[in-house]
Amino acid sequence: MTSALSLRGLYKSFGPTSILRDISLDIAAGTRHTIIGPNGAGKSTLFHLITGRLRLDRGEVWLAGENITGLSPHAIFRRGLARSFQVTSLFPRLSVFENLRIAGMRNAGCGHAFWRRLDGFAELAEQVEEMLTLLELGPRRDVAADALAYAEQRALEIGLALVGGAHTILLDEPTAGMSRAETERTVTLLRRLSAGRTLVMIEHDLSVVFDLADTITVLADGGVIASGPPASVRGDARVRAAYLGAAAEVLT
Amino acid sequence: MSQPATTLAATKSRHARQGGLKIALVFGLAIVVALIAPHLFASGFGLSLLNRMAIAIVFALSFNMLLGQGGMLDFGHAVFFGLGGFATMHLLKWVDGGLPLPVALLPLAGALGGAFVAVPAGWISTRREGTAFAMITLGIAELAVALVVMIPQWFGGEEGVSGDRSGGMPLFGFDFGAASQIYYVLAFWALIAAALMWGVTRTPLGRLANAVRDNPLRVDFLGYDPARIRFLTFILSGFFAGIAGGMQALNDEILTVSNIGSQASGAVLLMTYIGGVGTFSGPIIGAVLITLLQMALGTLTDAWQLYSGLIFVAMVLWAPGGISGIIRSHAPILRGGLGGRLLAAYLALLPAALVTLAGIIGLAELAYRLQAVRGGGKPGHLFGLAVSPTTPWQWLIPLALFLFGAALLSRLAPGARAAWQEAAAFAAGRRGR
Ligand SMILES: Nc1ncnc2c1ncn2[C@@H]1O[C@H](COP(=O)(O)OP(=O)(O)O)[C@@H](O)[C@H]1O
Ligand SMILES: [Mg+2]
Repeated sequence: MTSALSLRGLYKSFGPTSILRDISLDIAAGTRHTIIGPNGAGKSTLFHLITGRLRLDRGEVWLAGENITGLSPHAIFRRGLARSFQVTSLFPRLSVFENLRIAGMRNAGCGHAFWRRLDGFAELAEQVEEMLTLLELGPRRDVAADALAYAEQRALEIGLALVGGAHTILLDEPTAGMSRAETERTVTLLRRLSAGRTLVMIEHDLSVVFDLADTITVLADGGVIASGPPASVRGDARVRAAYLGAAAEVLT
Repeated sequence: MSQPATTLAATKSRHARQGGLKIALVFGLAIVVALIAPHLFASGFGLSLLNRMAIAIVFALSFNMLLGQGGMLDFGHAVFFGLGGFATMHLLKWVDGGLPLPVALLPLAGALGGAFVAVPAGWISTRREGTAFAMITLGIAELAVALVVMIPQWFGGEEGVSGDRSGGMPLFGFDFGAASQIYYVLAFWALIAAALMWGVTRTPLGRLANAVRDNPLRVDFLGYDPARIRFLTFILSGFFAGIAGGMQALNDEILTVSNIGSQASGAVLLMTYIGGVGTFSGPIIGAVLITLLQMALGTLTDAWQLYSGLIFVAMVLWAPGGISGIIRSHAPILRGGLGGRLLAAYLALLPAALVTLAGIIGLAELAYRLQAVRGGGKPGHLFGLAVSPTTPWQWLIPLALFLFGAALLSRLAPGARAAWQEAAAFAAGRRGR
């Protein structure tokens, strides 16, 4: 079986500073995978390399058996990969509904049409309404994105990645800054919506990680120090060393 | 799950139908206004005013398709207007020479001309966004002017190109020679173009243009190339600017390099911004108002440009949403029946505003006439007083008025603003309940 996502020997430096060295990783289709690691380990940079935001220095990225190295972000999206951002990135002046609808337009076949009514894409509108309900943003449907509360913006940020029906979804710290209750709701939502898809997420909250993940990769010092099912990662001595302190309690 | 979803969908479709009805009403009203207007303003001046408004509306709407809808500041928008106009003019000359085409259709040639020029111009400029885009359009505008001057065979050099709109075959017995007849042609095209441009805002491309305006980076990660969206929007905008240029060609029957140049580009920016870039109606309001002011003030004072510049600066400083922005921020208050309270607060500003305005007018006229007097012109009168801009003390009166009025305004403005905020909050609270 081909992997949903396969990273082969990725290297990235910013100027003289080497950030990632020889990262190789295979993520099986239909699984939930989390990437953890200390701040500044290069997790977000890795997502940027996969999604075409940044150019790699060396290595290859394969998506569902196709080499997507060097493709533009929109070309990668069209091959079935959607993502969210750690720093919320919405369409501030547009309503919540329009934000989600834009995210679904490409896969609904809207193209660049300027001769068809956008409202005429009924299935897309239904999809968006459904997502609004799932995100519990229904009452905020017609509010501009920049008028939302922080947690609502985070929910919408996730929604933008989920609504288009991509087969592989990358979420960069989806629960960052959320309350306990909001985090739990998000986990439930992700569990539900990741069915039949491949989910890769960067996550700091280790309870979320062990709750959701089929496999875990630990990134530290520019390299993968452990990768595998939760039980094996939990027992890894190097991971324990990297996670000394408060977080180590969760590992035990 | 499915039950609420279907009722939700039903509510939505009812909303959509009501929206459609509202739009049909607005458009119907626009048609009625267009039909009545020439009877209300039947003088030569009135008709020429209406004709200019029709052209300006289309031009400003096409400009806002870029600025307001797509976040693209085009410093050379008159290029598409002017070259569309030249395309129309050349076809008109062929029609004069016997080509069997109805003159009323010629603005279409302008549309094609505008779009045709927008393809290479957009191909270069829309690869960039923001300031870089604006700079490139400025360069393209310079280039276009230089080319037009360099090819007198096509563009007529300094004299420009002229034609005769009554030289074609008559349509239903009209030859469109009279201003009252060409008005209906221009009004027809203005209505069609406005309706089409409104329609574009409701299409996938129209919404994507908004998305690219707000956050081009995110658009890239949702499967669309922002540069491609800008490019297509740019061509569409050139198409509609070309229609306006074609209308101009029919109205003036002459086109020169000045129709392409930076002044024409600046004028459309000015009227669009003053009207308001944030709404579809803003550019229409700006086009109507600025055309009116231009022609009305133009007969009263030669300092028109000074005034339009001042209005522009004042808008940028204190009402960046333009006139339509002001209307929009007051609509809920008026609907909530709180207009009376606010009116009192605003009326309190009126004396100070009038004093300031008198000061500004005095200074502007003195400044303008200083130049005229130095050039050997007559000083003239202002507010019934003989003006002599070369005597220093005459400057002191308007200066004092201005300073006094402005100081008073800045003292009173916070109160009016607070009254507005209070009324807006009250209206919002009422609606929320
Ligand atoms: N564009 C950039 N230019 C230079 N350095 C960067 C850039 N982006 C990230 N970095 C650096 O790369 C390192 C990894 O960053 P990042 O991938 O955001 O870490 P993480 O997401 O794991 O917290 C950090 O030290 C950061 O300062
Ligand atoms: Mg990060």
